[in-house]
Order: sequence, then C-alpha cells, then structure tokens
Amino acid sequence: MSLALSTLLFEWRRYMAAVMALALSGLLVLAMTGVFIGIGKGFTATIERSGADIFILQPGAKSLINGPSGVPRRFIPLAYNHPEVIEVMPLDGAGGTFQNIKDVDPTKSQADNASQGAPRQKFVQASIIDTRPGSVTIPTDYSQELVDALRQPYTVAVDETALSTLGVKLGDKALYNGQTVTIVGVTRGYPNMMQPGVVMSRDTLRMLGQADTGPRVGPLMVKLRDPARAPIVVAQLNEMGSGQWKAWTKQQLAEANAGAMFEEGILVIIIGGCVVLGIIIGVAITWQTLRGAIMANIKEFASLRALGVGMGSLRRIVVELSFWVGVVGVFAAIFLTWLVSLLAMAGAVIIALPFSLLLVVGIGLILISMVSGLLSLGILKNSQPADLLR
Amino acid sequence: MNDMAFGHTKVHGKHGDFAIEAKGLVKRFKSGKSWVEVLKGVDFDAKHGDLTMVMGPSGSGKSTLIAALSGLLRPEEGRVDALDVDDLWKYSSGRIDKFRLDNCGFIFQGFNLFPALTALQQVETVLKFQGLSSGQAKTRATTALEEVGLGHRLHQRPAALSGGEKQRVAIARALAKDPKILFADEPTSALDGENGQVVIKLLRRAATEHGAAVICVTHDPRLEAWADRVIHIEDGKILDDQRRIPDPNAILASH
Repeated sequence: MSLALSTLLFEWRRYMAAVMALALSGLLVLAMTGVFIGIGKGFTATIERSGADIFILQPGAKSLINGPSGVPRRFIPLAYNHPEVIEVMPLDGAGGTFQNIKDVDPTKSQADNASQGAPRQKFVQASIIDTRPGSVTIPTDYSQELVDALRQPYTVAVDETALSTLGVKLGDKALYNGQTVTIVGVTRGYPNMMQPGVVMSRDTLRMLGQADTGPRVGPLMVKLRDPARAPIVVAQLNEMGSGQWKAWTKQQLAEANAGAMFEEGILVIIIGGCVVLGIIIGVAITWQTLRGAIMANIKEFASLRALGVGMGSLRRIVVELSFWVGVVGVFAAIFLTWLVSLLAMAGAVIIALPFSLLLVVGIGLILISMVSGLLSLGILKNSQPADLLR
Repeated sequence: MNDMAFGHTKVHGKHGDFAIEAKGLVKRFKSGKSWVEVLKGVDFDAKHGDLTMVMGPSGSGKSTLIAALSGLLRPEEGRVDALDVDDLWKYSSGRIDKFRLDNCGFIFQGFNLFPALTALQQVETVLKFQGLSSGQAKTRATTALEEVGLGHRLHQRPAALSGGEKQRVAIARALAKDPKILFADEPTSALDGENGQVVIKLLRRAATEHGAAVICVTHDPRLEAWADRVIHIEDGKILDDQRRIPDPNAILASH
C-alpha cells in the first residue's frame, strides 16, 4: 500500500472534513439533478417499466417528452413485418380533471356536511394499459389482480402517493372529466410530484372519449421474442423504415427522457448554480484540509527530503493523496445521496440517479479534490530538512 | 594517515579514504538587522570507516555545518567535495537530492516517522524511492530492521514503539540505503542511557562494518568513547581535532 493511501486510512479523521466537503458538494449536485430527472421519470415510469423492448417514434423526436412523437397508424402493421416482433401497441394517454366525491348525507346538518371539506378537483395525467394478459403496455411490476381489476370498464388505479392529493381511497368512486370511475387499484412506486397520475385500460379511455381512434396514434411500443436482441432489431427496424420512423431501445429512450428535462433553461441555471457552489465549497474546504494535513506531517516529509527524496516525489505523494480523498468523497457522496433519496421516496419525491450522472459527478469530485491537492502543493516548500537540524 | 589527504575523494572509499572534504565554509544568518556568522571559514573532512564526532555547545554551528556538508543548506562561501563529486554546491538542487538519495543517510534528534506506516513500511518507502522493486525493498528493509534488533517489531506503527525503538527504525531507514555517508544530529539526546547506548553502538557498527563515514553531531561528552575522531567547534570555528582509539565496549551511564 502506498504512503498516501496508508496515511489517508490511518489518519482518516484528519481528512474527514475534506471527504465531507466533497460528499456534500456531490450531494448538492446529485440531489438537485436527480430530483429534476425524477420529475421526468414520474411522467414516464409507466412506459419505461412496460414490457416494451423497442419504441418507434417520429424521426425528429428527441425523447418521449420533447418533439413530435406520434406516428401514423399504418406503421403498426409495418412494424409487424419484422419477424422477431411479437406485439405492437400504440402508446396512449390523456389529461383530465379528477374530482373526489364526498359522501353527502341528507339527514345531517349542513354544517356537518360542510365539515368534510369541499370536493377536491385536480388535473391528472391518465396512462393506459392493455388488459390482455402479457400485453406490451403493462408495466412488468403490475400484479395480475391489478390488471384484472382494470379490465372492468370505468375503473382506474392510483399510486399510493397520490391518494391524499386526490382525496380518495381504494374502492371510492370519483369523477374523471365528469364521468364516474371507481378506484380499483393502488400502485406502489409510481410517484409523480408534479401532477398525480391515474392508470386505466385503453378501453376505459376510449369509453371516456379520449382514446386515439383516428389515423394518428402515439409512439409504438414493440415487444420482441428475444429482448436481448433489441439493439440489433432497432438497427434493422430503422433500415426497414427508411427514414419514416426512428426506433429506440428502451434504454436509449429512458436516457433521452432523463436528458429532456435539461432542455428547460431554468433547470440548467439552477443546476449550473449548484455545480458552481459545489466546486467552490469543495475546493475551498478540501484545499484547506489537505494543507493542514500535510503541515501535520511536514517533519516526516522533511526527513524524506533529507534522505534524498526529491520535491517531485513529494508532490506526487500529495497529488495521490488528494486523488484518494476524492475517491472516498465520491463514495461518501453516493451513499449520502442514496440516503437522501430514500428519505425523499418516503415523501413521494423521486431522486433518479442514472449511472451516467453518478459517473460525471464522480469524476467531477475527483477533479475537485485533485485541484485542491495541486493548490496545496505550495505548503511542501515548508518541508525544509535543514529545519530538522536544530 | 592524514598525509594521503587533499586529493579529491574517491568512489566507494575503503576505510581511511576521504568521504567528504569541505574548505572554508562560511554561513551567515540574518538576525534582526544584522548578520550573524555561524560558520567562520570551517575546514572539515571525514573518512570512510570513521565515526567522526562534532561536539560543541548549542549555537556553536555544528548543525549548520552538517547541513552545509550534506547539501541541505547552501553556504555563502567555501566548497564541499563529497565522494566523487567535486564541489557539491555547484550541482542543481535536483542533483543534490539525487546525490543524497544514492549516498547519504540521516538520523535526527526527533525520529520523524510517518504515523501511518509500520516500521517495515517506513524503511521500504525510502528504498522504493531509490528505485528498488517492492520485493527487494521488503527484503532489504527486513534485514536492516533485524540488524537494529527490531526483527520482532516489523509491523508496529510508531505509536506502538518506544522512543529507543523509534530511533532504531529511523536508523534502519538510514542504513537500509547502505549509505556511504551517514549524518546523525543529536541522535541520542531524546533517549535514556540504555537506548542511547544501543544507538551509538549501531552508529559505531555502521562505520566499522559498513565502511560508512559517520558524522555525528552531539553535545553529549559521554559519546566520545566510541569515536575515532572528535572535533570541537565553538562560535563557528573548529577549536581542536583529536584522533583517538574508540572503545566499542564503552558503557553509556544512565541519565
């Protein structure tokens, strides 16, 4: 084990301030970015967790959220032309007004009835599934009971985190765009902090008058015989479409959806601000901590100098030390963010942490640490071996 | 013996050959508005196989002398020829570092061991900087620590070692390099009599068995018994320079 790593492990308390500074800088950026990605995920969770392996969108679409995503209905049979495709269903959904129904008892006084509060009206996002067993549109974590329940007309499912927002519970009746629906299911793990969502069958959406029945439909969800071959089939489908459409693997689309949030200028400003703050805090504290820690060992460094170890080698020790501090900081940042995301999840706030985000922030933290290390190099000038000869 | 003198020093000197020669060393320090001359034209030499003791009261310039001899502190005037190097101070600081890395060992009054490293790692670290592979460094470090009687303490950190043991680790760190010149600055003054004796005997052995030129600065007169040569310095000038027959079995009385 190298001198730098041994020192960090043995004197970890001395380096704790730097590790915490890096961890908190990382947390700041990860949590803010994660929340915004999570907002996007709230809208697309039902789709991203569906059984679809491939999505077919308009050629110009940049993600499910931005850009033209719907396609002509005639693309459905065209997609079936690929021999490995076993199911193609268009994505559908709508927005509607949701209102809970208060149980007004005519025998009670007006005051008693009023104490229940006014009915609550909310704008909701309606997602759909096809209730045929094993359909491509069903999220893979839906239970068979839930799918069976949604097969009944005019039924909806609501996520547990939206129950209080909508003022309903399992079994209640409610109004969707003025028509009565029954809450027959409660999902778990589909929070949406911006706008509550309801899930219904494609047939219910049609009966409510909001389904796509014309020549244009939403993006196509495609199921393959062998999901592992998705990247190959995507290439083949794109060739078959000869530019009329663009096929995406589920992974590609999920990444594009996560990135789509950052086309909003204000988000870039907020996150950019967090990054700048994180860098300033991280560099300042890590720099000062490293300086203090090096100063504490300055006599030992000076004795190495006396034995002929050159300044360059000592500098390398400091840079290596700052690298390891950065590595520990990255793990601390990820751990802290994970804890915070659990906490947030309890409050129905999703902090999404895609690997690419962790990678970018991780590299950033190590860079911050190493810059701090470079800034601390000046302190090594104090390692004058002649000072030991007193 | 001294008459073979004053040619330039030789590489890989044998007992009796000059390892280091200095002429007319002058070093001044600024003290307030005036300059204090700490070394006033000192001539100095030391031979392979000799334990040369530099003695004097504090402030006499003895530490400054070894700093100037070892390339740690540039003198204002004078020259230092060490081993095969003519005028060490003409070298760049990088080459002086390299010279020390290849040829010099250092032992200080404070032990200056890294708190995070075990005895073995303290010694290995320096050897690795010399360019040894980890395997070679480990073997050499183990041998050096066994030689100073710490074979059973290889994996202890400084916090678990006594003062005497720490100084022995520092000596092993210096000796593992197999230095041709070994500088020691008050190596026993932080130690009790018993440990002091162990340390001075190790220095004696480095001279006798390894042929190193050991230059030991001290103000402890009891160490004279082990020396081949005792140089007294006071006020930046050498007062006298005596050769003597060392007594390797001398006893350092307890404090």
